[in-house]
This record gives sequence, structure tokens and C-alpha cells, in this order.
Amino acid sequence: MTAKANILVVDDEPQIAELISYALTSNGYSVSVAGDGETAVKLAAEGDFDLAIMDIQMPGMDGITALGELKKLDPEIEVIIATGHGTMGTAIQSLRKGAFDYLHKPFDVRELLGMVERALEKRKFNDITRAIFSTVKPEEQLRIIVDSVARILKAEESLLVLSDKGGKPRIAVSEGVEDGAPKEQRLAMCARALERLDGASKPVILVENPSENKDFAGIDGLQGLKFSLFLPLLDESGPTGLININRLDNGAHFTEDDLQRARIFGSLVNLALRNSSLYRRLRETQEQLIQAEKMSALGQLAGGLAHEINNPLSGILGLTQLVLENTPKDSQNYADLKDIEKAVFRCKKIIVSLLSFSRQEKEHLEPCSINEIIEETLTLCARQMELQHIKIERRLAPGLPLVNADFQQLMQVYLNLFTNARDAMPDGGELTVTTELRGDQAGPQTIVSSVSDSGSGIPPEIAGKLFDPFFTTKPVGQGTGLGLSVCLGIINSHKGKIAAEGNPGKGSTFTIEMPVP
Amino acid sequence: MARKVLIVDDEELVRKYVRRALASRGWEITDASNGSEALAALESADFDAVICDLKMPDLRGEEVIRRMRERHPGLKIVAITGSVSNLKSPLLPGVEVEGFLIKPFGIDEIRDLMEKIVP
Repeated sequence: MTAKANILVVDDEPQIAELISYALTSNGYSVSVAGDGETAVKLAAEGDFDLAIMDIQMPGMDGITALGELKKLDPEIEVIIATGHGTMGTAIQSLRKGAFDYLHKPFDVRELLGMVERALEKRKFNDITRAIFSTVKPEEQLRIIVDSVARILKAEESLLVLSDKGGKPRIAVSEGVEDGAPKEQRLAMCARALERLDGASKPVILVENPSENKDFAGIDGLQGLKFSLFLPLLDESGPTGLININRLDNGAHFTEDDLQRARIFGSLVNLALRNSSLYRRLRETQEQLIQAEKMSALGQLAGGLAHEINNPLSGILGLTQLVLENTPKDSQNYADLKDIEKAVFRCKKIIVSLLSFSRQEKEHLEPCSINEIIEETLTLCARQMELQHIKIERRLAPGLPLVNADFQQLMQVYLNLFTNARDAMPDGGELTVTTELRGDQAGPQTIVSSVSDSGSGIPPEIAGKLFDPFFTTKPVGQGTGLGLSVCLGIINSHKGKIAAEGNPGKGSTFTIEMPVP
Repeated sequence: MARKVLIVDDEELVRKYVRRALASRGWEITDASNGSEALAALESADFDAVICDLKMPDLRGEEVIRRMRERHPGLKIVAITGSVSNLKSPLLPGVEVEGFLIKPFGIDEIRDLMEKIVP
């Protein structure tokens, strides 16, 4: 059996060191002894100790100095100071230097063991805290939480249950629970417990024999659980999930100490989860800012570029047309000049897209009906869709509030999405357009519209680039790669959101959220 | 009598093709490569119309147009530009023109517009 912990005993009186060492070893700890401060520091530099018990008055390096040195070597080491004729002064001094606690000699062995246990418990909590806060990746963090809670509360099973966006609970991670029915049954139990939570719920809820508890009536397979703990997870808006810890042994009561540990652990976890969610939000905001900066830089560039390019382009167009007038229509030269003329029109189109993308055009905001914008745009494309055997399915919610928007610009956005959808379905398919109101009247409301096609979907490797300027999947000459970045620019300037989702072979959906004023 | 037009643009290529496009339709053409030259040309001869670029090295096109309006109230003015900040009302407030074209424009566009303005 591995030792419960490695402890370094430092005392210049061999009998006392011997006594402490004996007491600790017979309680399952592994002990090293040092007769003075210098040796203690040397041993600590070589070995890995969880705790040191140190006399304060020693020849050579005194205990306070040695304490400082040990903490320098390993800031996590816990140190208990033992003092023979200590004054309050030295005790306080040692606590300031980071000692866990102090003992007056002569001390009772039970007193010593109790303090050792508490010091090691603190250290364990420190380790767990560090681990939980060491990552903000949800899957890693939740895994660490579930493993740690099973360890500190010595439970066979631990589960972390979170409510998804629709409020439906699911098991995010679990430890010690078999897949299939056992997981389902525990999820049902946790869902029931979650229903009973409210904002002011207790930090720990203890249930003995959950299978006999009326709160969990009708859920099978809970007979194996003898003692269950529930730690609610909360954010600003209320309960978001819970941690469930189960002991399966009939005699393994949760003690008051266990409950205290659970309470501390619960508040740690809540803090850590909130910390990572804030961090993720910060990252998202940063990314949006960087994207906005990129857009604005490109916009300025585009504005200047458009002017520089349009002058010579105008010359090319005009002179080409003048030469065309004097070229026989059946000649090769005529055909070539026509190609040049067409190329100029293509350039012109790109520059117009670039300019509208660069948001140099000032939008004209007025109260608009999203449904009306969609209907009007659909009228424009209806014929093309029909020709390509695409069925248009409208699911537009009636009576939506108006939004402040530039009608023309939003038409441009929907036109872009419809055109992309059409191009994704060369062999026909279905275009689905939906609108709905989200949020309640008290809070912020948004109108969410979506455009879905039944086409080839979005390969995961390009999902991140869809809205990047000049990114296109269309053949050369058929797409400028500006359509979606123009859409993004327009929706951003309307303080809305646009997102894409789609798996290969399952079609794509573009969603636009517009704030209701 | 031939209709007379003054073309003001610092881009020689543009002056060149506009001149040829209109000359073949019987217009008499003078050109200027900047605002001051244009204002000087207007003092020394009578014109029916001016085609004026909005972005030139010396004076803002809008300023040139304002001064032309002051001195020659009957003059027809067409503004042309390659940098479009607003497609719907491209000019600064208070500046009015008889026509407006965005570069690149073709020879038929400028011909048609000029025929309409000075029939």
C-alpha cells in the first residue's frame, strides 16, 4: 500500500523526532527526519514532501528561516510549526511566512494527527483547485471535476449533469457509472433533483436510499445507491445543472466533514465554471473585434483601390468599345474585344461588391418588416428557382415586430443567401425560409430568420472561412468570394448576427438574428 | 452649330475615349486635366456642357462645379467618378448636376446622357 502522504519531521531533539515519526508511521504516513534546518532544506530539495513538521528553535538555521526556504522550494508544501516555549509572536510570524498552523510542545499525539490530517486536506483541496482552474476547455474541466469529487468524497459514482439550451438535462461526464440503463436511471434521478432546485437552494442536498425517497418515485434501478449527494451548479440566472455523488456501501454514511468538503467543493466548481465561461466569452468578443478590424481595414483599402482601378478600367472599357465600332463583327478581333469588354464588366461587379462590403455606403435605417423583405427578395428569385426545380418552402411567422434596417441592404443579404442556396442545389431540391420571434417582452427580443437548402452542405474544413472576404467554392469567374462577407458586414452594421451551420450531405442553414428595437 | 463640351479629368485615358466617343457624334471638344484649367477654359470660350471628374489633384470636383454654376448659370454639368461613397446621392449636399456616371462607363452611356442633356 502506498503511503497516505510524505512527511518531513525536523527537530534537533532526536527523542521528539522519533516520537513524532513513530506516531505518523503507524498511521500510514511515510516519514523522513532531519536534525536541523539545513538538512531539512537539503532533503526537501531532493524529495517530494506534502508536509513538514518543524521545530522552531534549532541550532544553526532556525525554524522560521527553514520554513521560508521550504516554501521557496515548493510553494505548495504545508508546514506545521512546533514550538517549545513559543510566544504568540513567533507563532504569528510563522503563519505570516505561510505555515499551516502551530503546535505547542509538549503536544498530544491525537492533536498532532488531527492537525496533520487537516493540513493534508488543505493541500489536497489546493491541488484540486489548481487542477480545476488549470483549464477552460469544458470537456477537460468537467472531467477533472468529476474525478476529483469522487476522490475527495470517496464515492463509487460521480456525475455532472448540465441543462442544454432547451433546458433538457444531460450527463456531461460521469465516473463509475455503466453506460445504458444505469446512466439513464441516474439521469432521471438528477433531472428530478434539478426540477426541485430553485435559485436559493442549499449548496448540498443529502438523500439516503434514493430508491425509497418519494422525490424519485417511479425511477427504477436506484436500489444500489445508499447515500447520494447533489451539489447544484448555478449561474446568474439560476440552476444550470448539478453534480451527483453516490456511495454504494450501506455503512458509508456521509459525515459532517464530508458535507463540509462537498460544500467547499461545490462553491469551487461554481467559481471555476463561471470563470471559464467568462473567459470563453472574452475570447469570442476578442475574435469578433479582430474580425471587425480586418473588415474595416479591408474596407478602407477597397475604397482607395476602387478609385485607382476604376479610372484605368474606364479607359479600357471606352477604348475597347471604340475599337469595336470599327471592327467587322465576324472577325476574330471582334470576338476578342468582346471578351475584354466582358472582363471589364466582371471587374466592375467585383469592385461594386467590394465597395458595398467595405460599408462605405451609408445605410438608411427605417422600420422594416423582415417578412416583407424576404417575400420581395423571393419574388426576384422565384423564376430562377423554378427553372432549377427548387421548391420554395415558406414558414414565416405572422405579426412579427418591425426592425430598424436598410431595406435594400437586407434584400441584398437574402438575395445572396438565396443565390448560394440555389447554387448548392444544381439538381433541384428545397429551399426553406423561416422567421420567428425569440425572447420575451420583458427581455431583449430578436427576429430569427433562417435560409436552408437541401444541397451538399458545408465541409467542416471550410466552415471557419465562409465569411472571409474572397473565399469561394465556386469555379473561377463565377463567384467573387465577397457575397457572404458582404452579408456579414451588413448584418454586423445592423447589430445583428449571422451564422452558418451544415454537415456534408445534409444541406446548409444560414441564420440571421436581428434585434427588435 | 456644333455643341461644345469641356471634359475635365486628370486621367488621360478617360479624356481620350470620351473625346473620341463624342467627337464621332458631332460634338466639339476641349479638355482640361484639372479644376483650375477647367475654370480658365470656361472664361475663354462658351460651352454647352461640362463633364467633370469629382476627384482631381488640385480642387475638389464639387468645388469646381460650384464655381462653374456661379459664373455660368446656363451650363449643363455631368459629374463622373470612380470612387463611389454613396450610389444614391453621390454628391455633397447643395451641389446639383444634370447627370452622373460611375466609372467604368461605356461609350454609349456617355453619348446617350449627353444627347439627353443637350438635345
